[in-house]
Amino acid sequence: MQVTFKVYRKEPGKDAKPAYSNHTVELDGDATVMDGLLKIRDEQDATLAFRAACMRGYCGECMIRANGKTCTSCTSKVSSFTQKSPEVTVDPVRHMPVLKDLVSDWQSFMWDKVDRIKPWLEPVEPGADGESLLPESAMADIRKTMSCYYCGLCDEGCTVLPVDFDFIGPAALMKANRLIYDPRDTITRERFKLAEGPRGLWDCVHCFEASEHCPRGIMPTERIMAMRDKAFQMGIQNDSAARHHYSFAKSVKKSGWLDEGRLAIESAGLTNIKGLAKLVPIAAKALRRGKAPIPYIHHKSPGSAQVRRIIQKAEEKNR
Amino acid sequence: MKYAFYTGCVSRGGCPELYTSANKVAGRLGIEMEEMKDVACNGAGVLPQYLSDPINARTFAKAERMGHKSLMTICSTCTGVMGAANMRFKDDPAYREKINKEYLADEGLEYKGSLEVKHLLWVLFEDYGIDKLKGEVKRPLTGLRVSPFYGCFMRRPAEVVTPTKEYAGRKSYLENLISAVGAELTDIAGKGKCCGFPILTANEANSLAMTAKHTGEAREKGAHCMVTPCPLCHLNLDGNQDRAAKQAGSEIDLPILHLPQFVGLALGFTPEELELKRHIVSTKEVETQVNMLA
Amino acid sequence: MQEFDVVIAGGGATGLRAAIAAKRAGASVALLTKIHPLRSNSGLACGGLNAPLGRDDSAAAFAEDIMLAGDGINDRDVVRAFTESARDDVIWLEKMGAPFNRDTDGRLDRRSLGANRHQRACYADDWTGHIVLQVLYEQFQRSGAAMFDDAFVTSLTVEGSQCIGLTALGLKAGKLDSFSARAVVLATGGFTQLYQPSTASNGTTGDGQSLACAAGARLMDMEMVQFHPTVFPGRYALMITEAALAEGAQIVNQKGEQVVLSDGMSREKLCLAIKNALQNGGGPVMLDLRPIGKDKLAARFAQTSELVKAAAGLDIAKDPIPIAPAAHRPIGGIETNARGETSIPGLFAAGECACNGVNGAGRLAGNILTEAIVFGRTAGEAAAAFAKSSPKKTFPTSRLSDEEKRLAALVGDSSANAGDSLGKVQADLGQLMSERAGLVRDANSLQGALDGIRGLRERYSKLRVRNASMVFNYDLISCLETGALLNMAGAVAAAAQARKESRGAHNRTDFTAHDDTNCKCHTIVSLAQGALQVATKPLEA
Repeated sequence: MQVTFKVYRKEPGKDAKPAYSNHTVELDGDATVMDGLLKIRDEQDATLAFRAACMRGYCGECMIRANGKTCTSCTSKVSSFTQKSPEVTVDPVRHMPVLKDLVSDWQSFMWDKVDRIKPWLEPVEPGADGESLLPESAMADIRKTMSCYYCGLCDEGCTVLPVDFDFIGPAALMKANRLIYDPRDTITRERFKLAEGPRGLWDCVHCFEASEHCPRGIMPTERIMAMRDKAFQMGIQNDSAARHHYSFAKSVKKSGWLDEGRLAIESAGLTNIKGLAKLVPIAAKALRRGKAPIPYIHHKSPGSAQVRRIIQKAEEKNR
Repeated sequence: MKYAFYTGCVSRGGCPELYTSANKVAGRLGIEMEEMKDVACNGAGVLPQYLSDPINARTFAKAERMGHKSLMTICSTCTGVMGAANMRFKDDPAYREKINKEYLADEGLEYKGSLEVKHLLWVLFEDYGIDKLKGEVKRPLTGLRVSPFYGCFMRRPAEVVTPTKEYAGRKSYLENLISAVGAELTDIAGKGKCCGFPILTANEANSLAMTAKHTGEAREKGAHCMVTPCPLCHLNLDGNQDRAAKQAGSEIDLPILHLPQFVGLALGFTPEELELKRHIVSTKEVETQVNMLA
Repeated sequence: MQEFDVVIAGGGATGLRAAIAAKRAGASVALLTKIHPLRSNSGLACGGLNAPLGRDDSAAAFAEDIMLAGDGINDRDVVRAFTESARDDVIWLEKMGAPFNRDTDGRLDRRSLGANRHQRACYADDWTGHIVLQVLYEQFQRSGAAMFDDAFVTSLTVEGSQCIGLTALGLKAGKLDSFSARAVVLATGGFTQLYQPSTASNGTTGDGQSLACAAGARLMDMEMVQFHPTVFPGRYALMITEAALAEGAQIVNQKGEQVVLSDGMSREKLCLAIKNALQNGGGPVMLDLRPIGKDKLAARFAQTSELVKAAAGLDIAKDPIPIAPAAHRPIGGIETNARGETSIPGLFAAGECACNGVNGAGRLAGNILTEAIVFGRTAGEAAAAFAKSSPKKTFPTSRLSDEEKRLAALVGDSSANAGDSLGKVQADLGQLMSERAGLVRDANSLQGALDGIRGLRERYSKLRVRNASMVFNYDLISCLETGALLNMAGAVAAAAQARKESRGAHNRTDFTAHDDTNCKCHTIVSLAQGALQVATKPLEA
């Protein structure tokens, strides 16, 4: 089949302007996008830069976008993109800085972020003789997190990264997860602190895009939320997240419902004059519109006593 | 159509206009809602699961006891958090039994796993019927350009929102609703993204940047207003829009409507009845458009 | 110029293990890799790591199985060293965080792969290679060794018969740099991209072997190329782990009748059996994984399921998969001793690019990852020790400019290639080797291979790289890799021609039996004045 590839091109350097080059190639019916790119480089344009490694879809090296869909070029059949027209547009992965053509900067996008959390096990050394005795359930869960092959789809789909490139991102937090839940690691508390940030664990908005995008079902969003719960249980949390959580829990314990006014104040911090001052104009506006409930004098749910008992029980059981 | 009505925290607190408009719309359409008055916040994704699951099991147990099969929410976050908790209780009977035994038994309660959790938006399409709703429209919102903004938990995760192919339509209810009431859809890429509310405390700059991004996109594409089924999104998109615009160095001034307010306008309620005046960002533009339609 | 005590070329399992060991031994270490370590070919090794972990197993029993698979030409001393340290090396990996599968007592669970007569391969579902690579990369980062990725080694530098470093092209900056080292370790992987089809990744092109040969080192047992029996023959042939057979998968024909009983069969015999079944005109041969059971398939074979779906569009829980043997991994490589030393002082080699005689003429299933960690460590330690005792040599600056000129001479304008191309040469080479120097050979086919290779070399020498920039110039990389493949092809064909017998992975239809009188030895290939020379080497006791 004859296919025309419209390929994103960009020279190295910040000032280089991107453009598209068109190439028509003859391919077998079951050819992949990778086959197309290889043929273009081999026969038409040797300056085209794109990555290739395993050729079978397990290493993540060749991630690109074909007709807007992010995928590994080596497993994507051209025929699935040419149903309507014999043209395929190939772009680099979104949100990743481009080094040249389809070669993106994985280092700044992902590897640097993973490096932030000390991405290695710190075992007891030297260990006792023989293998550690460990439950299969714990190992199975770690294998799940470690099945991550750094395809970058979770980071690409993240809603925070486009507004804040320095956010640590779900991929790095999954590395933290793998280590935090490994019984052999000896620096859990330190690792939590590293994962916290700045721009870390508490900056995630749990929008579930990461879980939606992960091709291996690792469920990064759920795991990030579980890590926050675990941090809380262990008494590890950064200041503003701590205040926010404590205030929320206190409010629900007291009245059953959330007292937003109180939450805003206590999250800022009762001694944080600057932070509190920021809230004044908003509160004033809200009051004028008849919006803001008065903080602390909050209506109580009739069931609040029962709710309080349940919360207290749950807190004790999970101490 | 009878529902246990779960109001959530914000409609009784920071967004009382949502409570009013939801009741008005349900009343007009004949959707019977029995308000659950003695329940609590579901945790909103802030409380850890080991605290929120028992609380939510209690809420569900009470709804069952009230004789209901469906619990209706008016907030995306409530839908997501309670929907996920309910999925856990239903898919894992051993877990549900554990929660019942350890927390609810002492209070004389038990959740049997029979409820479904639905947002008003889903109720309108799945139980009431969009064609029937079209029939109730007294004031088609012709010429009003509206951008949809779902709130993350109304779109993800798939196991909760679209567990089977049957529910695939949930990903486009807002757009369909906008067309159904005669308004003009101004679609935006950010309709399913995050408004930034969850990180307002942790990272205010990012939170406001996200609000500015999505409301800014709608404004640039010519929308008159935005409609959202989530009051937490509303708190950021409306309440913090001024600050977000300032940070972004742009002017936005985009009115944000709650879902029931939007539907209510089409059903013929006045902006006053729907308490549009409570919003932080002036809704004058919407009111002017609506008044022209009589 | 960069200066390190030990420079390692290759970021797969072996290279990473060598770097960790060298760093621990106190050397300053740099690891160079042409991709990123986590994208390496090691990630596809699925089955497991052999080690005598069981209470009823032993290093001696393990050694016996290796000797059997090696079909008479293993070097006993290396086998002993390997089997005696395998247990400790595998347990080290576990201690460093490898989440291997466990039995109900919490101990490492083990499977028996291929011709192993004990259950001795510990594993991580069917992600074993992927997991091992990740754990090694974690510990590599922990060691603090320097890493240069997107760096392609273009030449080894030998001064006064000692290896004193190398030159490498940094693809990001597009600059050639020199690395002065007291010891160099090659861990660049295999060369089976030489065959089409093969299970190898794109970059498995024999770079290290070619560099070593050019520097004066020798290659050993190159005729021994291991084919894998259960490979889905798609455009990029997909290996289906032998663990499937170990857990109950069956080899059947289209009617579902078992055509080959694989229990305990060596890889070599299994390949031949399947090839024969295919040639007997009974239609395609299939691997049926359904007997493993749906639950076990979901739990233990997730990677296989995913990759088969991507390659074949088939579901291993529902469909049998067509299979045929395909070129898999080399057994031969750069000649080394048990410590990873080559014949050139200061140059070490380990892993798939090396051959120390441990496998003889056939590699036991489940050995490759264990080899990576045992010999990676050994070579790293040996390199560090050598670096400690070796005086620093000055890296001659002219080498860098010479190398720059050599690379620049490969570049030409767009009119240069006249309808031929590197891709065409590679494809023709792959087909030639599969047909004439593949699973089964004879004198005629091998002569045909050598003639064909000569012709391809001529074509290659006329081709030019039509990209003058050095930044991510993958056309240049492809050119250098093709050159390496041609060298590998010559070595394999020449060695196969020299060994006039059948033994292990080397099957000749004109010499079907062992010739223990003349051939119970290793085959050595070296480059002297640009021409291949073949010799023999006696076994080590």
